[in-house]
Amino acid sequence: MNEHKVVFTGSLGAGKTTAIASISEIPVINTDIQTSDFTKPVMRQIGAHSSTPSIEVANRSMTTVAMDYGEVNLELGKKLRLYGTPGQQRFDYMWKVLIHGAQGLVIFVDNAGTDPIGDLARYTDIFREYILTTHTVVAVTRMDLVPRPSIQVYHNYLHQLGIQLPVFSVDARSSESVANMVGHLVEMINGESC
Amino acid sequence: MLSETATEQLKQQLESLLDRCQPICAAVVVTVDGYTCAMKQRTTDQYSLERVATMGSTLMSLGDTMTAELKMGSCENIISENQHGIIAFMHINHNLVLVSLTTETNSLGMLLSHSRKCAENMAKTVAV
Ligand SMILES: Nc1nc2c(ncn2[C@@H]2O[C@H](COP(=O)(O)OP(=O)(O)OP(=O)(O)O)[C@@H](O)[C@H]2O)c(=O)[nH]1
Ligand SMILES: [Mg+2]
Repeated sequence: MNEHKVVFTGSLGAGKTTAIASISEIPVINTDIQTSDFTKPVMRQIGAHSSTPSIEVANRSMTTVAMDYGEVNLELGKKLRLYGTPGQQRFDYMWKVLIHGAQGLVIFVDNAGTDPIGDLARYTDIFREYILTTHTVVAVTRMDLVPRPSIQVYHNYLHQLGIQLPVFSVDARSSESVANMVGHLVEMINGESC
Repeated sequence: MLSETATEQLKQQLESLLDRCQPICAAVVVTVDGYTCAMKQRTTDQYSLERVATMGSTLMSLGDTMTAELKMGSCENIISENQHGIIAFMHINHNLVLVSLTTETNSLGMLLSHSRKCAENMAKTVAV
């Protein structure tokens, strides 16, 4: 196959749109919209002590309402087509639309979100059937802002679920970091096809 | 975010849209990021309009993205003509979208003209 379709999904503001923009070699198709003030910035206590001042870790203004799209050229004339889903549950109908025919899936989790393991739980549940039959990796972002839970905690959680998936710490703003994770996923896809 | 008065006025404008245009069976106002502001349908609970509204914001945004790609200016409206009805999507302003629908497949003209007029009035309502 000369093309691989890969879908970036995962929690609100985890970095799906940013990651696609970081590595795409064509101008991305972007459907981000200014958020209404219904979604307030999430404040989260950082550090174990209640005396630690909470900092605003998510100050969001744009959100995807339809999809993101980008392309990356691989070796031997192969092409990677990247689709990003909206993160908000309200747009869940787009998840089904976009996952159709995909050879790979990346679940993005915002480590600075209020419940990152819960987010992973939600997405592994939604895409369970897909995960069991195709190729999936987990990308944990914003670990520079909030280092915990650690990657090991994610592995432990997946182990409990009886699923084995590679888990990467990714900075969606860094093309190198995203390309490294995507490269791994492409190897998984290629491994199957040969 | 819209004031309560503005929301109330939008509801009334939806009501008069349905009063004035018999073929329209439901209409909803939604923000471009998918939050329902006001909705009205002729038969209670016939449609789950909130979901339709969110999908409307997705489709409108795809329409905007596509017209921008083709450098065709701003997207005026999107029409979905189906076996059992027609759906129209149009901007009220930069932030709001009107979705209206009819089950009468020969009422496209009425659906569009009444909805357009309603959207224009709504734009004035939310501007103040
Ligand atoms: N500090 C830090 N910021 C990051 C990292 N990864 C992504 N970001 C930032 O996090 C934000 C992510 O926003 P988006 O890319 O729009 O997130 P999204 O997942 O597409 O969001 P939705 O479409 O709303 O679901 C951006 O402001 C990025 O710059 C990271 O590793 N560290
Ligand atoms: Mg996005």
